[in-house]
Amino acid sequence: MTTNGEEAEALRRPPSLPRPPRTGDFLGKHRLSAAISRLNQEIQYLEEELNELEKMAPSSAACMEVCLSTEGKSDALLPETPGPENPAWHRWFQRVRSSHSRKWWTHKGSSDIS
Amino acid sequence: MSVAELKERHIAATATVNSLRERLKQRRQLLLDTDVAGYAKSQGRSAISFSPTDLVCCRILQGHTGKVYSLDWAPERNRIVSASQDGRLIVWNALTSQKTHAIKLQCPWVRTCAFGPNGQSVACGGLDSACSIFNLNSQVERDGNIPVSRVLTGHKGYVYSCQYVPDQETHLITSSGDQTCVLWDVTTGQRISVFGGEFPSGHTADVLSVSINSSNSKMFVSGSCDTTARLWDTRIASRAVRTYHGHQGDVNTVKFFPDGQRFGTGSDDGTCRLYDMRTGHQLQVYSKQHNGDDNDIPIVTSIAFSISGRLLFAGYSSGDCYVWDTLVAEVVLNLGTVHNSHESRISCIGLSSDGSALCTGSWDKNLKIWAFGGHRRVI
Repeated sequence: MTTNGEEAEALRRPPSLPRPPRTGDFLGKHRLSAAISRLNQEIQYLEEELNELEKMAPSSAACMEVCLSTEGKSDALLPETPGPENPAWHRWFQRVRSSHSRKWWTHKGSSDIS
Repeated sequence: MSVAELKERHIAATATVNSLRERLKQRRQLLLDTDVAGYAKSQGRSAISFSPTDLVCCRILQGHTGKVYSLDWAPERNRIVSASQDGRLIVWNALTSQKTHAIKLQCPWVRTCAFGPNGQSVACGGLDSACSIFNLNSQVERDGNIPVSRVLTGHKGYVYSCQYVPDQETHLITSSGDQTCVLWDVTTGQRISVFGGEFPSGHTADVLSVSINSSNSKMFVSGSCDTTARLWDTRIASRAVRTYHGHQGDVNTVKFFPDGQRFGTGSDDGTCRLYDMRTGHQLQVYSKQHNGDDNDIPIVTSIAFSISGRLLFAGYSSGDCYVWDTLVAEVVLNLGTVHNSHESRISCIGLSSDGSALCTGSWDKNLKIWAFGGHRRVI
């Protein structure tokens, strides 16, 4: 003996022919396939990177290069620097007359701007 | 294959990717036998010693009526272009403080600007998702404005950053909220290459900044809201050469180190980092202890290296501008607390081409020029 619910369920069951795919299903499959392809591509890149790390030098080698690269280079913003000192570095503290006003920039060593 | 089966495959592939990423992270950690500060101190290096008045503000460039968002020095020594919330680009002679051009933009929401390699053109981009080019020698129109000479359209999101390829007046790289970077031919307005987007190794969020390697202009790095920086070869748009992990927040700024083999980054996580381009190693974290709760950590908005690379200048949302000794990873000066410091967030920083001056731009509407005014010892 079936309950009312089971009878309703039997009526709702589709006929034996297969249902045609809905548009939503098609788009869902397409997007999923594309996403899976991208993930597989990323898996390949990550595995390549893991292999690379097997032969990679540790960070100390690069740290040494960083320290060496800053040496011997003339740097206008450092209190102590290898030469040559470029006279143009001083232009920011030399007197410059602006044609719009009579302002004169200050001498080196002062932090006031008149 | 059914949707259910595809979903299972997707879940499995995602799990594989996550597991590989974790293994990579652990392997990389094992290769970090020292950082730059550890190595430098083992060699007996000590921090650069500045007197409080060594780096002085020697010019204040006033004229914008809104927050300054971006600045760029011209390749010859003294001119600067700046972009502001007031919807204008201003070209300054930083030495005389005079404005040589003031360009009222059609789209006022500009975010970035750049000077062309021959000093005759400027580019800007912003919330119009386009990059506009102006020739500074053009005849001004009746309203006194310089006409646009080219608009580069194609991005599907805001343009956050742009930079001309050094020594190539005709090529420019932009980064965008559409998660891509683009290399443009300015003369035709065409996109030469798109970096990221559909391809799996592209950024997965807005790209906020780019820096082109001046030692090898075929390479550039980009920084993104996806917390990574990525290295690109302009000849190979289909995949990033390398992805650099470590930051815990948006990467707002990237800048190549002067030796062309490393680059610096600055982030919403409040730190700057130095990465080795070739190996991907994170070589140093530049981080200051903060009192108060973690939600108040000032973010790093912009960075620049001094010409030797010994100093790293970092601008913060707090208005501070820390001068880091790159080698020992200590703050040796704070331009945010000296005389004439900015009164608000520092949004952009740039070094003049001869390395003699630093320019900072701020939400206080001003730009300031800083130079060494103390006693210099030449060795």
